[in-house]
Amino acid sequence: MRRVSRAPDAWPRALLDAALITAGCALVALGVNALRADGIPLVAAQAYEILVPCPETSGEVDTVAPTDPALGASTTLLVDARAPEAYAAWHLPGARSVPYDYLEPVCSVRLREVASSGAQRVVVYGDGEDPDSGEQLGRELSGKGIRNVGFVVGGAPALRVARGEEAP
Amino acid sequence: MSERLLAWRGHAWLALAARVYLAVVFIAACWHKLLDPAMFALDIATYQILPLALVNGLAIVLPWVELVAGVLLLVGWRTRAAATLVAGMMVVFIIAILLALRAGLNMSCGCFASQGAVEDPISGLTVLRDLGWLALAVYVMIVDRRPLGVDRWWWRRRAAEP
Repeated sequence: MRRVSRAPDAWPRALLDAALITAGCALVALGVNALRADGIPLVAAQAYEILVPCPETSGEVDTVAPTDPALGASTTLLVDARAPEAYAAWHLPGARSVPYDYLEPVCSVRLREVASSGAQRVVVYGDGEDPDSGEQLGRELSGKGIRNVGFVVGGAPALRVARGEEAP
Repeated sequence: MSERLLAWRGHAWLALAARVYLAVVFIAACWHKLLDPAMFALDIATYQILPLALVNGLAIVLPWVELVAGVLLLVGWRTRAAATLVAGMMVVFIIAILLALRAGLNMSCGCFASQGAVEDPISGLTVLRDLGWLALAVYVMIVDRRPLGVDRWWWRRRAAEP
């Protein structure tokens, strides 16, 4: 009489095998890592320095003069690309703070806020340096589908001079 | 899925092709990770999902699981377990890539080489590719009941025992 044999791939057996394979791999991996000259510590001593490419800033933007009267129009959304501290120290009345980071893309929440503002035009001003954070943010916003984006040439310092305020 | 459909003998050959393909993919994928675990740890950290305490451990263990799962699929031993491991890894990879895409990270997936985002950036196509591999693994898991390879030989040997 022939004995009925269970297939070796029944589900409970397969799941148990998967767990055993993983455990075996972990033991071998830890052993090999401990023996090799370029092995790494099981727990990293300090955070990894993660380098990511600069965000794409490929969109088209218009240039806006610091004295442009459109800066005060109700249909224009003003965006301050500088750091939050600089925004807190001074900003154009009604301007929204969207700090530009050269390494991180603009977060989706801020992007949605700008996109849903209903403004006919978006004018960004930054630190006025080279490269200008305002121009970079403007290009990123434009590259992500926001229309009629411009940036203030010279950024916040030029705006303060144009308004007769003392530059910081 | 009906028993009749599952009983079709051609599944074993289709699954064999899927297994060999997945095995080549996983063995190729584990190679650079085994050679340079430090770089792979950096790849994992770039996803910004895992806590720092788990990054190195995963970088050390995962390539070996990929290697063993790939070899087992190739030789057809513990095939369903290996396919389960591959499917599980694919689910984890897909979730990680989706989270990275949602966070707007412009990065390489680190799947086959620790190269920059410029050469191999993650995208929706990366997710589609991984979904395809997940589908193959699930096919092997569910349909390949008598895998061609060591499992079949072993099962026949056991069945023939008096």
